[in-house]
Amino acid sequence: SQGVPQGPVSWAMSELKDCPLQFHDFKSVDHLKVCPRYTAVLARSEDDGIGIEELDTLQLELETLLSSASRRLRVLEAETQILTDWQDKKGDRRFLKLGRDHELGAPPKHGKPKKQKLEGKAGHGPGPGPGRPKSKNLQPKIQEYEFTDDPIDVPRIPKNDAPNRFWASVEPYCADITSEEVRTLEELLKPPEDEAEHYKIPPLGKHYSQRWAQEDLLEEQKDGARAAAVADKKKGLMGPLTELDTKDVDALLKKSEAQHEQPEDGCPFGALTQRLLQALVEENIISPMEDSPIPDMSGKESGADGASTSPRNQNKPFSVPHTKSLESRIKEELIAQGLLESEDRPAEDSEDEVLAELRKRQAELKALSAHNRTKKHDLLRLAKEEVSR
Amino acid sequence: MQTENKISPYYRTKLRGLYTTAKADAEAECNILRKALDKIAEIKSLLEERRIAAKIAGLYNDSEPPRKTMRRGVLMTLLQQSAMTLPLWIGKPGDKPPPLCGAIPASGDYVAKPGDKVAARVKAVDGDEQWILAEVVSYSHATNKYEVDDIDEEGKERHTLSRRRIIPLPQWKANPETDPEALFQKEQLVLALYPQTTCFYRALIHTPPQRPQDDYSVLFEDTSYADGYSPPLNVAQRYVVACKEPKKK
Repeated sequence: SQGVPQGPVSWAMSELKDCPLQFHDFKSVDHLKVCPRYTAVLARSEDDGIGIEELDTLQLELETLLSSASRRLRVLEAETQILTDWQDKKGDRRFLKLGRDHELGAPPKHGKPKKQKLEGKAGHGPGPGPGRPKSKNLQPKIQEYEFTDDPIDVPRIPKNDAPNRFWASVEPYCADITSEEVRTLEELLKPPEDEAEHYKIPPLGKHYSQRWAQEDLLEEQKDGARAAAVADKKKGLMGPLTELDTKDVDALLKKSEAQHEQPEDGCPFGALTQRLLQALVEENIISPMEDSPIPDMSGKESGADGASTSPRNQNKPFSVPHTKSLESRIKEELIAQGLLESEDRPAEDSEDEVLAELRKRQAELKALSAHNRTKKHDLLRLAKEEVSR
Repeated sequence: MQTENKISPYYRTKLRGLYTTAKADAEAECNILRKALDKIAEIKSLLEERRIAAKIAGLYNDSEPPRKTMRRGVLMTLLQQSAMTLPLWIGKPGDKPPPLCGAIPASGDYVAKPGDKVAARVKAVDGDEQWILAEVVSYSHATNKYEVDDIDEEGKERHTLSRRRIIPLPQWKANPETDPEALFQKEQLVLALYPQTTCFYRALIHTPPQRPQDDYSVLFEDTSYADGYSPPLNVAQRYVVACKEPKKK
C-alpha cells in the first residue's frame, strides 16, 4: 500500500491493485522497422506513383497496422466500459475482468498532446491500480464526501420497506398448500417412537435416603483415601474406611437401617394387622388393670383367624421376621371373607406420591395425544382436498 | 492516475475523456487503413479480371500457344505470393469472421466465382482420385456443376465436377490474435497442399499459426514414415481446408 490519502479530493484507500482498470502500455508500432515500404511510400511526393509490384508488400504492412489499431480500439473500448460500469455501480465490488494484456501500437503521426498525456498516464505498465474506497474504517470519510459524488448517486430515496415486510409475514398463512405440506402432516401423524417410554412406569429404584447414604459413605471413603495418600504414602496406614468396598458399604448401611427400622412405638406389624387387632381387642382403659381377661381375650380372639400372635403376652422385645407376609396374608383373608374391599393398586399407590403423580400425567398425555391425533387427521384430510382442487 | 495513486470521480472522468478521444483516434485510423486496404483489393481484383479476360482472349488466339507452360519454380512462387497476399481478416470489435475466413466453412449455398481457387477432387486417368489445386472457370446452375482448370499447366483438359467435389479455398486469412476460433486447431484432420506440389493430401495440424503471416505446421499422412506421418511441414493458411471424407481404401 502506498501513500496516505491526501486532502479532501482523495478519498480512496491506497490499495492500487483493487482497481479493475488495466493501464495498458500503448507502444507504438515502429513504422520504419515493420512497415518500411509504407514509410517509403509515404515519404514520396504525390507525383511519384506507387508501383504495382509494391502492392503486395504494402498490403501486408497495412494489414499489420490495421490489426494493431483495431486491437488498440478493442482494449480502449473495454477499458471505457469498465470505467463506466465502475462509476455507475459505486457500491458494487464486482469487477469486470479483462482477459487481454496486449501491447498496442500508437502510430506516431498522432502526435497530439492529448495522446502524449494518455501515454504518460497509462504508460506505467499494468501495475497496481488505485484502490477501492470501501474498507470499513473509511465509512465516516465516505459519508462526508457523498456530496462531492456524481449527481447520478444522489437521488436514492430510502425504499419504503414496511409493506414488503407485512406481506412477508402474512405469506405463511396465505400460501397455497402443496404436497410438501401434506407429506409433513403425514409424517407428524406417525406415532412417535418414544410414546411407549412415556407410559412406562419405571421400577422403583433405591430409595433416595439409601442412595444418598451410600453415596455419602463412598464420598467419605474417597476423601479418606485421598487424605491418606497425601498425608502418608505408606500403604499400611490407611484409615478404617478406605478398606471398605461397595459391598461393605452396603452392609454397613443395612446395619444402620436395621437399627432405625423399628418404628417408634415398637410395633413391627403392618397397618392392617394393627387395625384388625384394635378392632378385635376391646380396650377398656377405664377398667382397672386387674382385668386379667385381657390377655386371655386377646389370646382367644386373635386365635379366630389363627394368624396372629400375641405380642402383649411377652414383655421382652421380640423380633417378628415375617411382618410383611403376615400383613399380606391377613389382607387376603379379609378380602376373601368379604370384610375388606379388594382394592388393587390404588392402595399401593396412595403410599407413593410420585407414582400417583406419574400416573396422573400419563393419563393426561394419553388424552392429549389422542386429541391431537384427531385434529391432525382432520387437517390432513382438508389439506388433501385443497391440493386436489 | 497511477502515479498519483488516486482515484476519484474527477480523475476517472478525465481518464474516460482521454479514452474516448483515444478511441475516436483509433477508429479514424482504422477507417483510413481499411480504406487503403480496400483500394488495394480493388486494384488486385482489376488485375485479376484482366488476367482472366486475357486468358479467355488468349484461347481464341490460336496463333501461338495460349500460354507457355510455366516452369515449376515460377508456379510455386506464384502460389506462395498468392498465399501471402491473401487479405487478413480484421474485424471491427464485435464482428465475427465471415465464411471462407480461415477455417470457417463456406455457407451452404455458396457458389465459387470464376477465378476463385478451389480444391477439386478429380479422377486421374488411372482411376485414382486426387484433390488438386484448381481455378474455377464457370459454374452452371442448370447442372450444378463447376468447370475447373488445373492450376498447373493450363493445357490440361477442363474438369467438370459436381459441387460435392469442390472445396473453395479461404478468401481471408484469420488473425490468430483476434480470431483464434477461425483457425484449425491442433490434431484436426485437414486437406493441405503438399509443399512444392499442386495436390492436396490428408494431414493433421501440428501447430496453428501464431501471427497473421505465419503458416500452419502440419503432419501429412505418409505411409513411408514409421509412425505414418511426415515431419511437420509448413503450409500457408490459404491452402488448408477441412477434410470431410473418410479415409479411402
